[in-house]
Amino acid sequence: MATPLLAYRPSFWQTFWTNAVMAPRTSLGFMRVDFVLGTIFIVPLTQMVFFAFVVQLGGGGASEIAYTAVGNAVATVTYSSVFSVCQTTDSEKQQGTMEHLLVSPANRFALYFGRGLIPILISLATVAVGLTYAALIYGVSIPLAVFPTLIVSIVLTAFAMVGFGLLLGGVALYLRTSIILGNIFLFVGLLLSGVNFPLSSLPVPLQWAGDALPLTWGLAAIRAAVAGESLGSIAVLWGAVGIAAVASFGAAVGLWKVFERRALSTGSIARF
Amino acid sequence: MATATVQYSRARSTYAALRLSVLQFLADPQWLVPSMIAPVVFALVSFELFRGAGPYFLTYAILGAGMMSMWGQTLYGSGWATGMDREFGTLEPTIQAPTPYLYVVVGRVLWNVISGLIGGGIVYVVIVIVAGGPPAVPNPVGFALLFVFVMVTLASVGVIFAAFYVYTRYAGFIQNIGEFAFYIGTGCMFPVVLLPFVTNPVSLAFPPTWGLDALRYLSIPGYQGFGWGFWGDLAGAVATTVVYLSVAGLVFQRVERHVLEEGNLSEY
Repeated sequence: MATPLLAYRPSFWQTFWTNAVMAPRTSLGFMRVDFVLGTIFIVPLTQMVFFAFVVQLGGGGASEIAYTAVGNAVATVTYSSVFSVCQTTDSEKQQGTMEHLLVSPANRFALYFGRGLIPILISLATVAVGLTYAALIYGVSIPLAVFPTLIVSIVLTAFAMVGFGLLLGGVALYLRTSIILGNIFLFVGLLLSGVNFPLSSLPVPLQWAGDALPLTWGLAAIRAAVAGESLGSIAVLWGAVGIAAVASFGAAVGLWKVFERRALSTGSIARF
Repeated sequence: MATATVQYSRARSTYAALRLSVLQFLADPQWLVPSMIAPVVFALVSFELFRGAGPYFLTYAILGAGMMSMWGQTLYGSGWATGMDREFGTLEPTIQAPTPYLYVVVGRVLWNVISGLIGGGIVYVVIVIVAGGPPAVPNPVGFALLFVFVMVTLASVGVIFAAFYVYTRYAGFIQNIGEFAFYIGTGCMFPVVLLPFVTNPVSLAFPPTWGLDALRYLSIPGYQGFGWGFWGDLAGAVATTVVYLSVAGLVFQRVERHVLEEGNLSEY
């Protein structure tokens, strides 16, 4: 009697690394070098300048403009972390690889986390360049002493935002297209996350909505670090960003499991 | 031996392109949403930033976001159509057809302008609801007429962009990465005179810059735009639009000839 074949199951790190290396060429294939460089060097500059002029026209002074500059420097992280990552679902469907992915025995967390590695690195670069612009153009003071807390804040924010992008990608699995979802969360942070004005200016229900976005907490942590606040107060914000990151990654993996089961039972979810 | 003569109607080609654009939109109207989200959010953010700055700043927010919506439709629509043609493999047959490609593009751009106007209307309704009332416009009839003309200026830019998109494989890059640069350069949300003087010549090369400045002169009392005032803006808008529309045919002719010689249209 023939012995049954054992299913090949790659290790966690093998899955993670393969996806980290391959994703920029496959599901993240639309992120060409020109796009990546534009996202890192052009978008933060133009978005920051645009809103700085709007603040200036509205009668805002140097402090208001600096507030907006820092906010937009960080908010541009959504292009690489949320919008791009969210689009991976569409890419899989369009390229016809979704079915293969759904029947793959690969560890899902390693798979999704691996795909997020390059977007995390691009997000780190985007925020760093954005804050450099804010310092050079709008005179935002970022002393060397705050660099350690600032770096931790930026790294945590990048992780949380990519986790949120993966979560949206999970939702997009069920939708016909992820582009609407991606566009909503690409820009809604500008309104609800305290990017251009303090969250307290908004009606209370909108403040609650803003609190549900990782960008809100990440931005608060980065602002606190730039302002040189005490480690204790920044640590509280780090905790919030960390919770947002863990919740996003966890919810993303959970959601994918649910939709995978549905996909396998109905056989129709990979279509678009 | 008699040869068959090619008969085609340019107007019919334009109408067919327009009709197809409308049908594609009706088949999947959700595509209006992505280009609407940014202008609505920017309008709300600007409204909040302008709060307390004066009664006419509501007009700034609405006008700016409405223009951004129309800009988005023009930039995206023109590039998207050519990019999709290239991806689906229909760009070569379209270019080879007896009708000049320009007349196909004009049909598409016409629909982009109309859908942009729909988007501008949605922005207006959202902001009016949030603000609790419409903005005061001193000359509503003149404003409406000028607004339609500004749409024509946008269409003229759309046609030229479409020609450029036939050449380049970087339409997506221009649309996505250059989006804010266009909003800044043409002064969508603020007067171009706020920008450094050296950038003004670039801004003035775009007809919508002139048109928008004229619109603000007409709708915002005490507005400080270009020194030449409303009539100067209007003359500039007409002149640049005429130049754009005049060169559009020439540019398309050259682009078509060149890409047919090169034979690399389907590469992307």
